[in-house]
Parts: sequence; structure tokens; C-alpha cells
Amino acid sequence: MKMRCCFQRSFCSASSSLVPVQLPSPMETHFWYVLPDQVKSVSLLNQYMGLLSPIEKENVLSMPGHQLQKRALLARALVRTTIARYQINGHVDPRSLKFKKNIHGKPEVVWQSEDGWCQPHLHFNISHSSSMIACGVTSNSRIGIDVEEKQRKIKNNILAFARRYFSLHEIEYLSSISDSEVQHQEFIKLWTLKEAYVKALGKGFSAAPFKTFTIHVKTDYKRSFVLAEDLLFEASEIMVESLNDPKSLTSSWQFALLELVGSHYAAICMEKDKSIKVGMKVPVRLTAWKTIPFVEDECVSGTDAVIPIGGLIKL
Amino acid sequence: MASVSTSCLRFQPLLWQSNNTCQAAQRTSLKLVSVSWAKSGFPSLRATRFRVSCAANPLTMQKVCDIVRKQLVLSPETQLTPETKFSELGADSLDTVEIVMGLEEEFDINVEEESSQNITTVKDAADLIDKLVQKKAEAGA
Repeated sequence: MKMRCCFQRSFCSASSSLVPVQLPSPMETHFWYVLPDQVKSVSLLNQYMGLLSPIEKENVLSMPGHQLQKRALLARALVRTTIARYQINGHVDPRSLKFKKNIHGKPEVVWQSEDGWCQPHLHFNISHSSSMIACGVTSNSRIGIDVEEKQRKIKNNILAFARRYFSLHEIEYLSSISDSEVQHQEFIKLWTLKEAYVKALGKGFSAAPFKTFTIHVKTDYKRSFVLAEDLLFEASEIMVESLNDPKSLTSSWQFALLELVGSHYAAICMEKDKSIKVGMKVPVRLTAWKTIPFVEDECVSGTDAVIPIGGLIKL
Repeated sequence: MASVSTSCLRFQPLLWQSNNTCQAAQRTSLKLVSVSWAKSGFPSLRATRFRVSCAANPLTMQKVCDIVRKQLVLSPETQLTPETKFSELGADSLDTVEIVMGLEEEFDINVEEESSQNITTVKDAADLIDKLVQKKAEAGA
């Protein structure tokens, strides 16, 4: 799905060149990501700047250095353009979206019905590393995502870090890995899963300090098979257990762990649909796009760019 | 370390009450940012911020800045003020947690997880450190 847009700034209508998308269905996540290194056009960056609110612009420009400014700019542009795609009646100008933070600081869209557009069931969450910015979208389900570079350097000793911040079970798991590279990778995976969970909860970090919950990964099985047109990956079972209430495995949360473009781990945590009975295993449907807003969107789920490595995922 | 904390300067809250004196006093911390998108003709924006800076222990502040610079691999030109937010330096949550861990080791203190997630600026970190160090000294540790 490639579109080239002619950049005559005075004539280019922002929303007209965004390909509209249907809302995700229940238990489905839409995952959009942009790679900053692929966005070089200064006029495009200026076009993105034009989408931002005055406060957002100020925040972007207060970052020290061009790279950080570009990253902050792309993050806001990605959120605005992504949400604007989910339009039901007519076009939504990404500029018109208003955002607020909930009482715990989690960003949300302020749904307004001025132009008759109201989509209150749309949830989103954003994450970025230095080389990728991602936005996850769901309908009717809280979502949290986290992306990290696989090779991200940890300045502290990994086990010392884990002992300080992770739960006992997780420390034991990491300690049992003798290969330092594998240990590093598993650490990053755990971190992204824990981050995604806390962000999905949306109650701020003090509501769920990392030490108070454990991510369990059951890797008894790893298989993938084709079910009709869908590709179903059953890489492992990922569950979260709250240590404050050990009897209940907090089973209303579903996880997906991905390897993206060979360089990143991405964790998605979403609330299970209320209709699903406790204990039922339902896969997370995932559709992923690599995007340069207004320039091109490429659906990458089912390609090598997106490899499921944890959780029950349907592509 | 106890003697260091007692030499900490504190601005009185009454500075906030009078607008006139505020303006003058607020020049203790000044941040000028001048930016333009090169080659694009995009207008340059200057964001000037005046803040009253409650001066934390300068030695603590310096150590915090050193640890932050090391963790975030900042270029020497990057300016760090007490009000600088870690997020503004491109720090994500993992960076912040690593910074807190580095500070704990440097100052031999223990930061509660809840408090560590409230640290958003360089000043927050320095203030919390001073507080914890003082508490430790008072406890006779």
C-alpha cells in the first residue's frame, strides 16, 4: 500500500493522504511503527510539525539536539496520524485531536463530537527507542506497549539490577542463564513485558512497582501452524502474577512478545475481552504496519519484520 | 555528609507571593533554547524559562549530573540545569531506573521504588539524595 504525496505545503491537506483503517476488532491489536532513520525529508518533518499543538511543539523544541527533537516530533506525529486513520464519518484532521492525561498521567484522547466524530472505545499506547517509535491501538481494551533495542547496553550489572527491581522468580530465572548474551536478551524481554503491563494498567508506576508482580513465561511448547488464512503462533504462554495477591493469576491480561526488524523486542499487553471466560486461551490478533505517515504504509505482519517470540499470537 | 546538607541554601516560599520580586529573583536559573530547522526556513523558536531554583547541595548536583551524563551518553555541549527533565534528555524509564541505581551506589542510599518514579528532574534526584543522606546520617548509620 504505497502512496506518494506531492509536497506542496500550502495545498496538501493533512488528512487526505492518510489511508483510513477499520477499528481493531475485540482481542485485536494494531501496531504501527516508524523508523526515524528512514524519515529524512525536512519538508516532511515540517509537515509533521504542523500537526502538533503549541505545547507539543514547545516540548519537541525543548529537547537538546536534532536527533532527540526528531524523535519527539515523530512520536507525536505518529500518535496523531494513527488515531486519525480510525475515522468513521469523513476525514479527521490529525491536528484537531486533543489529548489529556488521566489522573495517573496516562495519555488519552479527548473525544469531541464537534465534527460528529466520536470514537471513545479506541485505546492507544506509545513507546519509543532511539531507532523506533511505535503505537499500539485497540478497541475497548486497555493496552500498553514497550519497544527496546535488543542490543541496548545496560550500564549496571544485570543481576544486580534484577535483584534491585525484579521479583524473586524473575531474578531466579535470569540467574539460571549462564550465557551472558542470552541473559541480556532475556532481561530486555522481561523488561519490555513488565513495562507494557504497567503502561496497560495506566495507573502510574506506583500502582504496580516492578517488584510486586512477576511475569511468568511458560516455554513448554513452541509451534506455529496455519489455520485457514491466519498464521497462528503459539510461542509460549505469558502470564502476570500479582505478588500482593498470589492466589489470583491476574488473568485478565494478555501478552504478546515480538522481535521487530531483527533489532527490537516489542511487548504488547492488552486486556482480555470481557466475554472471554477465565482460563480460555484466546490468541491476540495482530496486524502491524511500518509507516511513514503521509508517505507510505506497509503491512508487515506475516513478514520477517515481525516475528512472534512469546505469547499466543494470530497474524 | 551531614555537614554538607546543613549548608544547603533554601529559598523562602515568600518569594512566590510578590510578582515583582519574583521576576528579579527568578533569574537564578535561566534556560535559553534557540532552535531552527536548518535548510528549511522553518522559523526559529526561542523558549525562555524563568524559574526560581531551590539550590540543592552543589556537590550533590554535580555528582547527579555526572551520573546522568554517563548513563545517557550526553555530548559535553548538552546543558544540564536543575530543572532539566530526564525525559527531555531522551531518557526513557529504563534509563531513569539505571540512573537511580547509579545514584544509590554513589551515595550509598536506598531509594524507594515509589519515590524513584517521582524523580523527573535533576533537582528531584539531588533533593531526594540529600534527604536520604541526611536521614541516614541522623540514624547514625
